[in-house]
Amino acid sequence: MIPFFAKIGLRSLRGMGFRLWIPLFLIWLLLVPIVLLLLPLMFVLWWALQVNPFRALSACWQILSGLSRTHVEVEHDHGSILIHIV
Amino acid sequence: MSENRRQILEMLSSGQITADEAERLIAALEKGQPASAAADESHPKTNVKYLRVLVDSEETGKDHGPVKVNVRVPIQLLRAGVRLAGLIPARARDKVNEAFHRQGMEFDVNQIKPENLEELVEQLNDLTVDVDADDGDRNGKVKVRVFCE
Repeated sequence: MIPFFAKIGLRSLRGMGFRLWIPLFLIWLLLVPIVLLLLPLMFVLWWALQVNPFRALSACWQILSGLSRTHVEVEHDHGSILIHIV
Repeated sequence: MSENRRQILEMLSSGQITADEAERLIAALEKGQPASAAADESHPKTNVKYLRVLVDSEETGKDHGPVKVNVRVPIQLLRAGVRLAGLIPARARDKVNEAFHRQGMEFDVNQIKPENLEELVEQLNDLTVDVDADDGDRNGKVKVRVFCE
């Protein structure tokens, strides 16, 4: 399943910070027409590079799906950053 | 004893087939059957889901404070990455290998194949790296833990 939300948190040196929920599904929806438009171009590019386009598409999809539940958190005196993909 | 093997032995005892034929049939049976079983044994399903990296630096210097890093990468992402690496064109792979070689790393990108993927994930199951070190000229200690869960 591709990720639907991303949570991004930032905290600065002075303790000010925010947490942002990014609705990725809206981004995917916006990207779908662009991807569809670019797909023929990508097929030509993959063909030129002698890469199986279906395998490439499958790998891209798997990377997108694999991003789910990725968690990166770094804390430091100067601030902190949190990225959590749901 | 499996039903097929018993049938072969019965056919042999009743004289329907010769000993050589029975031997060939049993060999064929063994060849056909354990192929999937052996594959299952060599690649058991791993229940590893994440690769975790935890860094806990307790250094206390003028410009440095304690640092904590907590990274959780889904194994599924690693799998996809390896599959993507398999799509790199041969010429590009050679260039990557050359670049690795120049950096002093004897690493062959051609060895990253989907066939080796499950073995790699299986090995990650037992991976735990603990590093506990003094941080050189700075004051403090650094603890690094890499493990799968």
